[in-house]
Amino acid sequence: MSATHMTEASPAGGVDWGLVGRQIVGILRMELRNQLFSRRAFALYFLAFAPVGIMALWAASPVPDKLALSGPIDASRVYAFVFQGYLSTSIFLSCLILFMSLFRGEILEKSLHYYFLSPIRREVLVAGKYVAALIAVTGVFAVGTTTLYLLTMSPWGLGELGRYLFSGPGLGHLITYVSIAVLACIGYGAIFQLAGQLFKNPVSVAVLLWAWEFINPFLPSLLKKLSVIFYLNSLLPVPVAAGAFAIQADPIPAWVSVPGVLLLTAAVLALAGWRARNMEISYGSDD
Amino acid sequence: MANETQTSTVGFDPEGPLPDGEAVVFDNVSKFYGEVLGINRVSLRLGPGITGLVGPNGSGKSTLMNLMTGLLHPTEGEIRVLGAPTNRPEQLFHHVGYLTQFDSFPATLSGYQFVYSYLRVHGHGHADADRLAWQAIDRVGLREAAERKMGGYSKGMRQRIRMAQALAHGPRVMVLDEPLNGLDPMARSEVIDIFKALAEDGCHVIISSHILHEVDMISDRVLLLSGGYVVAEGGVNDVREEMHERPIQVLLRCNKATEVAGALFAQEVAVEVSLHDDRQGVMVRTANAGDFYRFMNQLVLDKSLDIETISVADSDVRAVYAYLIENEGEGL
Repeated sequence: MSATHMTEASPAGGVDWGLVGRQIVGILRMELRNQLFSRRAFALYFLAFAPVGIMALWAASPVPDKLALSGPIDASRVYAFVFQGYLSTSIFLSCLILFMSLFRGEILEKSLHYYFLSPIRREVLVAGKYVAALIAVTGVFAVGTTTLYLLTMSPWGLGELGRYLFSGPGLGHLITYVSIAVLACIGYGAIFQLAGQLFKNPVSVAVLLWAWEFINPFLPSLLKKLSVIFYLNSLLPVPVAAGAFAIQADPIPAWVSVPGVLLLTAAVLALAGWRARNMEISYGSDD
Repeated sequence: MANETQTSTVGFDPEGPLPDGEAVVFDNVSKFYGEVLGINRVSLRLGPGITGLVGPNGSGKSTLMNLMTGLLHPTEGEIRVLGAPTNRPEQLFHHVGYLTQFDSFPATLSGYQFVYSYLRVHGHGHADADRLAWQAIDRVGLREAAERKMGGYSKGMRQRIRMAQALAHGPRVMVLDEPLNGLDPMARSEVIDIFKALAEDGCHVIISSHILHEVDMISDRVLLLSGGYVVAEGGVNDVREEMHERPIQVLLRCNKATEVAGALFAQEVAVEVSLHDDRQGVMVRTANAGDFYRFMNQLVLDKSLDIETISVADSDVRAVYAYLIENEGEGL
């Protein structure tokens, strides 16, 4: 059998980025199929679109609460509240399921060794898997966030909606909400991917993390900053009241919070790459 | 027995000729799982042709194979395959293929998609991956079933499609962990022909089995493993001879140990005798167990010995060999 042998070293002795690029495309093909068209994807679609369905029912029915709102500007406060729930529940859980299973799921299915027996740097594998899951989850939640937003603003008619979007703050808000959703996927995704590599039972870690994020409004100012949700909430275009028992803290400006989440992500992914390079595979079997 | 070797740390072009034809070099390698021994102080060099790793379950065969493919990292020592360290998959797996014992795969893929998809992960473009995938599938005789989902494959078909995946990229070193498991006699014969063809093409083929007869049929040389140690190495006939001639160690505790040691030396029934520090125990190495026990019976009567214990200290190795021989009937 003849095969074209490729090596990562280019003629100049550096890394053959063309080969690395083709390998990442190969990983994306495999992973996007897994993330979007497997049984696991059902949880993603459910978490993303069940709230959309509920909002569609709300928008379509003459609910007295809805009529008490004067229009999209009032509704934008409702949406800010809804989005916060969407962020801390749907997006958080979806990232947990998808990213945590990138490595842990394959260990449970005993299929990770096929990647480990391929001529790819483990760091490239980590990056490829991460990007694939990120494309899947951000694509779904960009659609979910946008649909949810448009449905919230829709009961007052398309004319009012159009004016709010294009002559008012609507479009800017929508872009901000979608950006926050993407940023949440970026940050949570990296953390959960690493957790899936580090822990045999990452669910307990996820519960702890979720609890930490959930109690964030009630934490002292310094501790608030040790969470992802605090930085994401700081970006909300319409502030949400945290409740009577919440401890107030000054929101972080966008020029700090966005690079902050990205830097955290880069650090966590670097750690994930190091961990992958040192990972062993035995699946607990005997000789 | 396993050779103690010096391992070169100088890398070389994996496409070029191998130094002394040695594709796999283990230099004093140990692997422990916590406190459990995987393999201990293994030094070996595997040359061209087909090498068989033989040993019962738990002897360290899979550990050895997982180490040489980087799925496990050695606790001590150094391993190089085609001159590359095993912790550099980006160098190693352009030229190495490994059929593991893990009978698992991405469940939703067809056989073709499975082979093709991992060729894309290797970095092949569509046309190249498609051509190589079909070549490999044809080689294992699975073309008709290639478009079916692997979830519906029999064990033999799964084994063959995994083999196609492992050899599709044209490796120079092919590592196969119990590759004949689950195959019917016809399929075994076909698969063995594939191994032979790979070896004829210049590929280094390393096969494990717990049945000596199985590797006897196809291997140029055999490594016999027991309890994490390489206990014999060489041609199959050499290994058989070595096992038959191998001296056994017997531990004896009695009231006149010094006299027993002297008598054993005098009668030349032992190749080595060492007296324990407390002068109550003797460690004897003998090449002829029958003569040794007959002599001991006589000695007990003549010297009125009071024997506390007499036990074979390395019975494991003999038991392993007996096990392997007994299983020969299950062969091809």
